[in-house]
Amino acid sequence: MTFVNQIINGLHVGSIYALIALGYTMVYGIVKLINFAHGDIIMVGSYTAMVIMTELTGLPLWVGLLIAMLAAMLVCTTFGVVIERVAYKPLRNTQRIAALITAIGVSLLLQNIAQLIFSPNSLPFPVAIRVPPVAIGEMTISFITLLTITVSVLLMLGLQAFVHKTKIGKAMRAVSEDRDAAQLMGINVSTTISVTFAIGSALAAMGAVLYSTAYPIIIPTMGAMPGLKAFIAAVLGGIGVLPGAMLGGFLMGVAESLTNGYISSQWGDAVVFGILIVVLLVKPSGILGRRTSEKV
Amino acid sequence: MLIVKDIQVYYGAIHALHGISFEVQQGEIVTLIGANGAGKSTVLKTISGLLRAKSGDVVYTGKSLRNVDPHNIVKLGLAQVPEGRRIFQQMTVLENLEMGAFIRNDRAEIEAGFEQVFQSFPRLKERRKQLAGTLSGGEQQMLAMGRAMMSKPQLLMLDEPSMGLSPILVNEIFSIIAQVHQSGTTVLLVEQNARMALSIAHRAYVLETGRIVKSGDAKELMDDDAIRKAYLGH
Amino acid sequence: MKKKVRSYIINIVALVLLYSLAMYLIGNGTIGRYYMGIILTAGISVVMAVSLNLTTGILGQLALGHAGFMAVGAYAAALFTIHIGTEPQAIFPISLLVGGLVAAVFGLVIGVPALRLKGDYLAIITLGFGEVIRILITNLEFTGGARTLRGIPRVTTFSYVFVMVVLVVAVMFTLGRSRHGRAILSIREDEVAAEASGIPTTYYKIFAFTLSAFFAGMAGGLFAHYVGVLDPKNFGFIRSIDYLVMVVLGGMGSITGAVGAAIVLTALPELLRGFSDYRMLVYSVMLILMMLFRPSGLLGTKEFSLTALIDWVLRRKPEAEIEAVEAEQVFATRHKPALLEARDLGIQFGGLKALDSFELTIEPGEIVGLIGPNGAGKTTVFNLLTNVYVPTFGSIELEGKSVVGLPTHEITQVGIARTFQNIRLFKNLSVLDNVKIAYHNQMQTTPVEGTFRLPRHWREERLANARARELLHVFGMGEMAAKDAKNLPYGQQRKLEIARALATNPKLLLLDEPAAGMNPTETQELMDTIRLIRDSFGVAILLIEHDMRLVMGICERLVVLDYGQIIATGTPDEVRSNPKVIGAYLGA
Repeated sequence: MTFVNQIINGLHVGSIYALIALGYTMVYGIVKLINFAHGDIIMVGSYTAMVIMTELTGLPLWVGLLIAMLAAMLVCTTFGVVIERVAYKPLRNTQRIAALITAIGVSLLLQNIAQLIFSPNSLPFPVAIRVPPVAIGEMTISFITLLTITVSVLLMLGLQAFVHKTKIGKAMRAVSEDRDAAQLMGINVSTTISVTFAIGSALAAMGAVLYSTAYPIIIPTMGAMPGLKAFIAAVLGGIGVLPGAMLGGFLMGVAESLTNGYISSQWGDAVVFGILIVVLLVKPSGILGRRTSEKV
Repeated sequence: MLIVKDIQVYYGAIHALHGISFEVQQGEIVTLIGANGAGKSTVLKTISGLLRAKSGDVVYTGKSLRNVDPHNIVKLGLAQVPEGRRIFQQMTVLENLEMGAFIRNDRAEIEAGFEQVFQSFPRLKERRKQLAGTLSGGEQQMLAMGRAMMSKPQLLMLDEPSMGLSPILVNEIFSIIAQVHQSGTTVLLVEQNARMALSIAHRAYVLETGRIVKSGDAKELMDDDAIRKAYLGH
Repeated sequence: MKKKVRSYIINIVALVLLYSLAMYLIGNGTIGRYYMGIILTAGISVVMAVSLNLTTGILGQLALGHAGFMAVGAYAAALFTIHIGTEPQAIFPISLLVGGLVAAVFGLVIGVPALRLKGDYLAIITLGFGEVIRILITNLEFTGGARTLRGIPRVTTFSYVFVMVVLVVAVMFTLGRSRHGRAILSIREDEVAAEASGIPTTYYKIFAFTLSAFFAGMAGGLFAHYVGVLDPKNFGFIRSIDYLVMVVLGGMGSITGAVGAAIVLTALPELLRGFSDYRMLVYSVMLILMMLFRPSGLLGTKEFSLTALIDWVLRRKPEAEIEAVEAEQVFATRHKPALLEARDLGIQFGGLKALDSFELTIEPGEIVGLIGPNGAGKTTVFNLLTNVYVPTFGSIELEGKSVVGLPTHEITQVGIARTFQNIRLFKNLSVLDNVKIAYHNQMQTTPVEGTFRLPRHWREERLANARARELLHVFGMGEMAAKDAKNLPYGQQRKLEIARALATNPKLLLLDEPAAGMNPTETQELMDTIRLIRDSFGVAILLIEHDMRLVMGICERLVVLDYGQIIATGTPDEVRSNPKVIGAYLGA
């Protein structure tokens, strides 16, 4: 593998991290909660897509994939919104750690439900797209890679536009900045938070399908690692900042890919965490983040 | 228009309001004055639903607000300019004003609202693309007022609009409050600058440690010896 | 004292009984290998949970990498035993100590940079460190790497675990109730106020974090010598989470809560073995329900006390903790001349000059008022004088020595104490403890003396108690000593904050709106108290206040600020008739 190929590989994984990181960063921005269950939403998305694709054998594979993705988005969105209403909303005004532990509980719950339904063993994900790789000069890039990178960049841009141009998007920003002031504007905070969870979960669903096409093995605990890395990507880029999540995701993906390629695959994770530590120590608010200070 | 009936409010174990009752008639400017910590802001927050009274009631145009969510209270025509401005620092001036108009949907009316605000505060117009956090203190106060006016409230509640402003700016802000009132908005003003507040208000209530200790005509209170000693310096 | 001795006896007797009972049951075979395994695992979990509780519950910093320290301790202890010992039994205690010490070194190295971060950022960075440790162990040669480390002598016995649990819990209680424990607690309650009370918060954060790592390392040692084989997979992020769940479920900050939760959560999955398919499901549902219905954990911040239980069973009234007030002065009151000089002081926030060309001189024993409209920059002056903000320009000298750039707690130590506009008490601590925390710098008890309760600990505690009670008495709050600060009425909270500031033994006391929220009678009392403070403690006072009766009544000199600038200075009469002041503030 050439250096450029390693970079492209990194961007492939990185853009999946980025999609998941967008959800993390939006949710954190608005409710200040590290939503540990977000990773497991990925798992829910992958299993949903797998079930749909196995059922729809008659259709051309790419149509099946599209339907599967839509179904995964629908299911994940429902999960995200319901989880917020049932498990996080009642704890909105208590110590934040209580919600954090609840999120861990939800994460375990989702994993165990999946184990009961699908068994704890790994299942193959039906890989849908058999398109010849695209040649650019000397290089060839797999179609999936191109698709993944394009889709995630477009989604990030779309999300950025949504948050800055639409009324509900602006309300989301207002609520993340000052919840009380937002209420005084007539903004329904609960609805706004639900919308945020819905969008974040839908993005995670897309990430899930793209992730599973790249690594076509699914197990109930599969969400933990990409979830954790996506969260780190969000922190790296500056939590609450959408382009930051994207940047963080790409950085993580490339760093991981280069380490795997040139040093050893065993050190990939260490490098990822190492970068996180260095960035936090040098600029705790992340690469694109803003400093905040406490008023005395 | 607004009737506050014997509200008792607690912050955790602290009993902040010990049975406050007062009313505001349509077309009035009413002020609540008192020292820092007397409970003035608590009263406003209770009216707008950010805090809940343990007992007592707030009635607005005949409707009890006891179980109405804050965002729905705004829709009834009550707007509040919170203490310390609380503008959205990371959003532009224009976006802040849009948030103020959140409950309105008629684009043309919103545009007209912008024009009105810019007429009252020409400086905001110059800075409409700027992030609100980069404005000076006076401009931020103007933005907070403009933002509240965007919802076209019937009753505007202001919490210490003079805070942190130079005397000239304080005069400017108060003359705008008078203008807002003349254009038909009822005003409930919470102020620590008692002199300014009494000079534009019709009636006033004096708060002390969570209780109303005095009330009456603003001009009369201005001449009241005890009030002069306590709040006006001599 | 009598009460304490009684409490010691009750607890020691209970422990001896418990130990004898367990040994008897083990001896006659009632506790077999299976149950023994559960007991040992539970004991190790208790040590882990109680040690994590120090960082997360007592210090109040969220840490997600505790399993990393356990791993370090486990490998260090195991490697020590394997390489040194021909007699693992004999050197086991040393191995445990080695495990603890190596983990403590890691704690120190990680804590120094990481503890500059707060809240979720600290959580994430500790998570990062925990994972890096695990990956390092996986990839290094001498740890056996992913192939696991085998052949560790299995010398962990019930007695070791029992002693270790008792030791850790006892240390948490004794150290926790010494001046060092109070310092750590004060950081959880309000870091800014802790600094202002003279607590070197950075030092205590690192101290608590390192100690927590030390105990986790010892637990790791016990674990290594119990299982005999170490696999880095055992020390992942999920394990850190397990221990965190124990701490939160038990009640953050409650030592006995952590003990209880650790035992229950270790035993519970075993009890649910019957429905093995569903046990993790049940566990996660219980976790969610527990948090929803009891977000502050089982015990909250309370502690279970055997003594109190026995008292309750015997319907015996707990003896009031009356200690003789000794007049002896060990914390010497300073009566040196205080003199503050601030020259050309100013600060800029972005483009905004919040304060400009500020000049102030305070003579010893003077009472000076700082007045002006809300937002004029008065509190900014206080924040500059105590280095909460660093001045953009200008100088501040106390008795001729510059204090610019000194950490806030050192400024408190050299003699400037303050109160806050928005009252910053240690809300969940008693009124008495609020004041005692401020005596921190006047006490010398070392952590070791505090832990083992050596004579100096008792002597200084008695004195601190006596002096704190005396001070509260001066403020008319003697009756409230045992109440939690958050339950005081507003006016009393203000007074308590002043008492706390005074307990740091300042030369200059800065009061930020002391009369806010007080009624006229309370304000009158406050005026008397402020005069009394000046007269009997010889403290100079600078106060921000809007209540003109108070300002005009007790201040000898006034400085009037408006819009970040001084517009007048002078005696109350001069200021009152100054046209500028009338225009800006007082009005005609």
